[in-house]
Amino acid sequence: MKVPARVVIDFAGPQRRIRASGVLLCVAGALTCAAVGSSFHASLAERDALQAHLGATARPHRTVNPNAARDAAAAVAIEKQLAVPWSRLLAELEGASQDVASTVSLLEVQPDATKHLVRITAEARTLPDALAYLERLQKSPVLRYPMLESHELRKDDPEHPIRVKLSAEWRT
Amino acid sequence: MSPLWRDEVAIYVAPRKIALARRSRGVKPHIAHATEIAVAGHFGDVAPTLARLSDVLSEPTWQDAVARIVVADPWARYGIVPWPDLRLDNDARVSHARYVLADSYGDVVSDWSVSLADTPPGRAYVACAMPQPLKSGLEEILAGARLKLTSLQPQLIVAFNAWRQQIPADDAWFVSLDDGSLAGVHLSQGAWDRVHMARLSQDWEIELERLRTFSRLSRTGSAASRILVDAPTWMRCTRTAQAASEDFQWLEPHEGSVSASHELALLQRVYA
Repeated sequence: MKVPARVVIDFAGPQRRIRASGVLLCVAGALTCAAVGSSFHASLAERDALQAHLGATARPHRTVNPNAARDAAAAVAIEKQLAVPWSRLLAELEGASQDVASTVSLLEVQPDATKHLVRITAEARTLPDALAYLERLQKSPVLRYPMLESHELRKDDPEHPIRVKLSAEWRT
Repeated sequence: MSPLWRDEVAIYVAPRKIALARRSRGVKPHIAHATEIAVAGHFGDVAPTLARLSDVLSEPTWQDAVARIVVADPWARYGIVPWPDLRLDNDARVSHARYVLADSYGDVVSDWSVSLADTPPGRAYVACAMPQPLKSGLEEILAGARLKLTSLQPQLIVAFNAWRQQIPADDAWFVSLDDGSLAGVHLSQGAWDRVHMARLSQDWEIELERLRTFSRLSRTGSAASRILVDAPTWMRCTRTAQAASEDFQWLEPHEGSVSASHELALLQRVYA
């Protein structure tokens, strides 16, 4: 059966009545809060103790090698040196020397791997022979932008050869 | 004593009677003292009842507690106030209710204290008025006896709330009878929609016959309204009253409160 709604008319105004069940519920809630707080405090203490214990045990020591960066740079440099196409480069220089009738003697080949640059020191009997050698290198598919950097007449040599220094980039 | 466990004193005030019950609080609340006192008063004057109550409350037995007061229906006026079309604040709602009550009961209630029931918006609400001298006099007497007033309710409200579990929510009458007065409320869709009050003569047999007539008149429609009556034992137990049980249903209190008087049983229901 549906029950009629309660009618509240009170000339004393609304009053908040404190029931025993409410007081008991409040006390139970406070006790529960205290128990949870105590448990939380105990857990914190246990965590601190465990952390202290962990701190006391020896940890694997990770040290930073101060030479690591230098070694890495050296490794990169070596890798770049190894990347120089020596076989093709030397074969091309040798072929160019033969093409100009061996009038040019190759004295030194110095690569700069970081700049992809090769410096060539050679001696020729005459300056035209040296220039012919340069022209031959300019046609090489391995080299790019061969240039004459300097030349000098070797007076201390009885045959007075021309020493030239060339530079060129190599193609990868 | 802890304020949480202060004793409670329930007081019933009527023109010709005062009833008091003190309940001790604690783990097992129980009625520690109860009494009924006759008053040589009448409906139109609250002074004899207040004077007698002041005398009684001078005894330490009834002091230093919280107090709940039930005012007999002869000193209360009820009305159903329609929900206003305009949005009103609380003061305006009280003024509106005072106007509706004055329309039913005349200017006598113009200076009475008015209290309104909380109702969902859009629905009519119950208003009740009681004499301002009665309210202020009770507050003054209680203050002198170190009693803190926590509740001041009219009898019909207390009785209805006590019995509402047994009252149908739709098309039913709840009638509260007492010495010399009748208050009846009609329920529709779970809410009050009519309130009637009447002063009864000293001849209960005549009044009972009037009540039976009213019951038969309420059955003239297609559906018969149920009538449930809350009355003192001496009204229910007469032969005529028992014969009338086919016309309406007497509300019987539970076993524990049968021995108590109607007023003390009502005060016990205040605690519930």
